[in-house]
Amino acid sequence: MSETATTAPAAVRGRSRLRGLSFLAQYTGFLPALVLFGVFFALPLGLIVAYSFWETIDYNVVHHWTVDNYHYFFSVPTYIHTMWATIWVSVAATAATIGVAFPFTYWLVRYVRRGALQRLLLVLVILPFWTSYLLRVYSWLNILGDGGAINRFLQWTHITDHPLSFFLYDRPAVILVLVYLYFPFAVLTLYASLERFDWDQFKAAMDLGATPRTAIVRILLPQIRPGITTAVIFVFIPILGEYLAPQLVGGARGVMIGNLIVNFFQGAQYTRGAAAALLIAALIVVLLALFRRSLEVEDPYRA
Amino acid sequence: MREFEVVSPYARLVRVLLGGWAALVYLFLFAPIILLVLFSFNANKYGTFPFTGWTGHWYGQVFGDYQIKDALYTTLRVAAEVTAISTVVGTAAAFPLVRSRLPFRSAVRIGMTLPIMIPGLLIGVSLLVLLTSTFHLQLSEQTAVIGQSVYTTPFVVLLVAARLQGFDPALERAAADLGAGTVRRLRHVVLPLIMPAIFAGALFAFTLSLDEFIITLFLIGAHNTLPIYIYTQVKFGITPEVNALASLLLAASLILIGVAFTLPILVRRVRRLVRA
Repeated sequence: MSETATTAPAAVRGRSRLRGLSFLAQYTGFLPALVLFGVFFALPLGLIVAYSFWETIDYNVVHHWTVDNYHYFFSVPTYIHTMWATIWVSVAATAATIGVAFPFTYWLVRYVRRGALQRLLLVLVILPFWTSYLLRVYSWLNILGDGGAINRFLQWTHITDHPLSFFLYDRPAVILVLVYLYFPFAVLTLYASLERFDWDQFKAAMDLGATPRTAIVRILLPQIRPGITTAVIFVFIPILGEYLAPQLVGGARGVMIGNLIVNFFQGAQYTRGAAAALLIAALIVVLLALFRRSLEVEDPYRA
Repeated sequence: MREFEVVSPYARLVRVLLGGWAALVYLFLFAPIILLVLFSFNANKYGTFPFTGWTGHWYGQVFGDYQIKDALYTTLRVAAEVTAISTVVGTAAAFPLVRSRLPFRSAVRIGMTLPIMIPGLLIGVSLLVLLTSTFHLQLSEQTAVIGQSVYTTPFVVLLVAARLQGFDPALERAAADLGAGTVRRLRHVVLPLIMPAIFAGALFAFTLSLDEFIITLFLIGAHNTLPIYIYTQVKFGITPEVNALASLLLAASLILIGVAFTLPILVRRVRRLVRA
């Protein structure tokens, strides 16, 4: 009797200690990630924020709080021009990517029978994403450049005598390559939302007299709008910080903010570079905050 | 979905047009890659049109180039370290992410995927400033490893977390009822079940590291990985040798990703066969 009376509380105490331990054990897994992301991701980003408000005097960073770096950025017409050019290129490339990806994904979901074939066709689209980013840009040099496939072909067939530089070193080339780079992102997100759409609603709408166009505009589009927004975000954000595509195929007219940032940092103008970097980061954060809702709709861990 | 064709007279036309569009999309996606590989076998020394004959000469040059060999070893060393770090860190983080009673779980989840979302350029320059100006470190392979790990670890977290979420908790409860402690449950029940995901995550991390360019460009200093080497070469124009090297790198990533995708399926099939 007394034995049970003493052992019971001990067991309870043991269990509560265990629970305390398991509470700790629950979260220890986060520790390495906390160090990695805390020290080498969050901290440097914080530092960039601080740098953008500090001064560089004689190549030394002085901890004087100032908005001079931003002031400087907006006082140079070339930089402002580059910023608008970046936004313009990002918007155009995003629109083109979605414009190419939507009809494609629609075809894939609606006209290809669900199963192995549809999966295979989807995997083929994503495949280039898993190859080197540098090589995907580089592969276009083979096609667009002065000595590239198009020019060589034109000369070979005597359509023109000297290489046309029209294909390369300008914004259209940048946009083309950007569409190529981010196309898989767009298809994946559009596929996720189109695939869930119940096509019987389509049939119902048409039974009630809707034309296919009305059915698409009034039934399909409103339901997959979150998917389209997600696709836009996933394409637009990385393009804002693009460096390599404009560097390799953009020429002087294709320069984007990413190239500007790199130039600042390579020229040891850390504080000015930080301000330019923060302008992009701020734009991204604002966009993410605005569209947080539509990004949260999907649970990435759904089995 | 056949019924639509009856409803709209244009349905067949739309279907053909969309099919044609899809064919163009696949051409757009694969033409640059196929051309790249073709040109790497082209005898023409400008590395482009016209096609003057097949040769394996450029591959011979790639294998004989000591700079490329050097860059290859650096790439492999960096990739191995990045894989080790992100597999351990990512797997460890996936457990509490899925299983603990975590407040703000979705915020933490988004936070963990942020390094994938934000441009690599920002990761690169911000780490450059931290490591060189604040920590006063010399740029080296190790600084590149740190930068790449920040970017690859979220992929491992996502993959392992998805697998953890997917498996039946009853299995672990059954093991506990039969008297297995935490360590034994982990070793004999949980780890074997999530092993394919961990392995796939490791392969993903390895491939991503192999191909990573922008973060590495800022953080590796005077060393070269293969992508950085190719980048420095491209500045002087296209050469068939770079085409050959690029084709080899493409093949390596595709094989690795193929293994990463098919391995979990294969493991499941083999297990089923063994059980039957």
